[in-house]
Amino acid sequence: MFASVTSVALVGIDPSPVDVEVHVGGPKDVFSIVGLPDTAVRESKHRVKAALASSGHALPQRRITVNLAPANLPKVGPAYDLPIAMAVLMALGTVPKGETVVSLGELALDGSVRPVRGGLAAGILARALGAPCLLSAADAGRAAAVSDAHVRGVRSLNEAVGVLTGAVEGVVPEPMRLGRSEDVPDLADVHGQASARRGLEIAAAGAHHLLMWGPPGAGKTMLARRLPGILPPLEANEVLEVLQIYDTAGRAAPTSLPPFRSPHHTATTPALIGGGSGLPTPGEISLAHRGVLFLDELGEFPPSTLEALRQPIEAGVVDIARQGFAVRFPATVQLVAATNPCPCGFRGDRTKPCTCSTPTVDRYRKRLSGPLLDRFDLRVTVARPDREGLVGPPGEPSSTVAARVASARQAQAARGVINGRLTRSQLDDLPWTTSARRLAEQAIDRLGLTGRGYDRVRRVARTIADLDGSHDTDERHMLEALGVRSSW
Amino acid sequence: MVRLRLAYAGMHPDRVASLRDRFGSIERVVAAIERRAIKVPERAREAVLVDAATRRRELSARGIAAVERAGLPPHLSELPDGPELLFVKGDLPVRPGVAVVGARRATSYGLRLARRYGYALAEAGWPVVSGLARGIDGAAHHGVLDAGGIGVAVLGSGIDVWYPAEHRQLGERLLAAGGAVVSEYPPGTPPVGWRFPPRNRIISGLAAVVVVVEATPTGGALITAKRALEQGREVFAVPGDVDRATSTGCNLLIRDGAVPVLDPDDLVEAASLVLGPARPQAALSVDTPVAGLIGTIGSTIDELALASGLSIAQIQEEVSRLELAGIVAREGDVVRKR
Repeated sequence: MFASVTSVALVGIDPSPVDVEVHVGGPKDVFSIVGLPDTAVRESKHRVKAALASSGHALPQRRITVNLAPANLPKVGPAYDLPIAMAVLMALGTVPKGETVVSLGELALDGSVRPVRGGLAAGILARALGAPCLLSAADAGRAAAVSDAHVRGVRSLNEAVGVLTGAVEGVVPEPMRLGRSEDVPDLADVHGQASARRGLEIAAAGAHHLLMWGPPGAGKTMLARRLPGILPPLEANEVLEVLQIYDTAGRAAPTSLPPFRSPHHTATTPALIGGGSGLPTPGEISLAHRGVLFLDELGEFPPSTLEALRQPIEAGVVDIARQGFAVRFPATVQLVAATNPCPCGFRGDRTKPCTCSTPTVDRYRKRLSGPLLDRFDLRVTVARPDREGLVGPPGEPSSTVAARVASARQAQAARGVINGRLTRSQLDDLPWTTSARRLAEQAIDRLGLTGRGYDRVRRVARTIADLDGSHDTDERHMLEALGVRSSW
Repeated sequence: MVRLRLAYAGMHPDRVASLRDRFGSIERVVAAIERRAIKVPERAREAVLVDAATRRRELSARGIAAVERAGLPPHLSELPDGPELLFVKGDLPVRPGVAVVGARRATSYGLRLARRYGYALAEAGWPVVSGLARGIDGAAHHGVLDAGGIGVAVLGSGIDVWYPAEHRQLGERLLAAGGAVVSEYPPGTPPVGWRFPPRNRIISGLAAVVVVVEATPTGGALITAKRALEQGREVFAVPGDVDRATSTGCNLLIRDGAVPVLDPDDLVEAASLVLGPARPQAALSVDTPVAGLIGTIGSTIDELALASGLSIAQIQEEVSRLELAGIVAREGDVVRKR
């Protein structure tokens, strides 16, 4: 007696089908699970047996073999309880063996179904297979977020049996949506800070990595949190990517704006990059995919952590290799970092004395100036607000800035590359006026711009030209870009 | 030559002065040390016993001059509490200069002003005298170097001991630019706290005018101002916020009669009454309204935008233009005239 139910393993964020095969036969009373199960999966047999008994399904005194295929894919967690129980009942003939069913869920000992990670992935797989999908009532909404999958939520094993036999309908889920974005802070709350606001707008318009520089309490974090509100909203396919990542991580869906993640500097490297024991989970950099990764107090992050971030930020993906398999998480982020100018924070402040010695400041800056610092196209200085800044008129609202950003992004979309990712040869091919070229040469000579620094200035100048609605990058755009250059 | 031998005892200058008054002359003080009539550590006594010719050979091999009181510039040698001997590297200017003094822990407001005043005074052609400490001292000397002028650094350690160590380069640049580094303590003397207050009388002694840029009420800068007044020097002070500790010293000086200075031109004009006319300076070619705003002590980009009514983009463009022309420099978001 044989039956099989389809389930899902997550490799990275993408669903991979797992066939849950059950064979009932042979004289001995043994229940075994094979096919690279982890501890939680091996314990599944106890939960499944108890849940079946609680639901009124007595198991025969026979050998029951459960195989999770393909065997080389690692299976993790309690999510295979429900498909195993259903396949057992199919093999025993309690439930008819019908068409393919995709299922995922943990069983409680009383037979009720608990939510697990990967509901969205199950929905994607069900859509691809054209199969119905059975999940816990709480997970069904995730699967239903993927359009046209036939998804039913079940609260108990018996309800699942009922749905399969056609006796009951099951829970018709409300498709999960991204959280609403009402509580995202608005730029109108930021008084003063004109040059920092302008820097934020340029960074948003060209997706440039941004370094914010200023004493404690100046409002660096406040400004960074307002960046998602002026970025273009996510496209439908980007929304799905973000949902998949949060589903894989077992987290609630973010808002419909680009995600904003702000890991603390004590976060471990796996927490930032992804990984962890068992099946790798996405790190902060992936949770910030299509959005903003904000590193406050950049200088406090251990150099090894910053070094680990460098490659994913460059590549836009995180690759994690494990024995026998590798996973890839998306990690296209806009990096925003904030740093004090020195350990005490007050170097350059006009009203408070800096208590750091010059060598201390040099050491502090040297620690920042790793390869990561090369990634920042722009640097803005955020000054502590003076009276004017605290009581002055409110700034422009995010919506006005977002409109300018959107039109600058359109110009870039027409060229096919976002400015923050322009390579040197692409930069060379862009239209520059003669005076802009001449100015660039002067800047190299007189301000000591390096080759990379020169590229960064040109990328930012191009974005300023896009904000200006200009086809050519002009001298004026270069001059402003020089004002926000990140080298020192 | 006995003064040179005595200098190697490394005694507190006040003690040297009181011994000199008690025994009648420096020669007699040295003789008293030789016959152990004055209690000094044995190591100091042995240092005094080394003959002056040997000392001079050692010093000249290292490019250090030892100038006894009589050979010092008159404005220093005539002071009752003036040093008996100075170790000198470089060329000690004969004419009096202007001392720029202030706190070691300075705000960027003070640092910028000190640099600006150092620049303006050096450009006016006067030697600028200060310590070589962190904060105001260092900033003033940087200003002197910006202007290509003459700076004199008075150390509280031995003349071959750079303190703080990171100012070695600054000191060497002062020397290369024709300035001087002086100390009354023998080579090798470590920077110990009690040696610094006596040094301040040399700073004010080498100057006819003293300007205090930023000072706390208890700091060394106020000691210098006090010694300067005793020496009959003109004392100027840069006012600051009344509710800020780093400005209190200056504001107290002003309350007690020091002349407030509002900008470098103001100071140069006032100092010229004492020091004689300033060297005429080549005016910066300033042809844009923004450049005019950057003039005195430096401003942030936001302030320039507010003051000019231009957008941030336009200000950044203008400032970059001036930066490329070498007229202004950026430090973070602060822009100041070079």
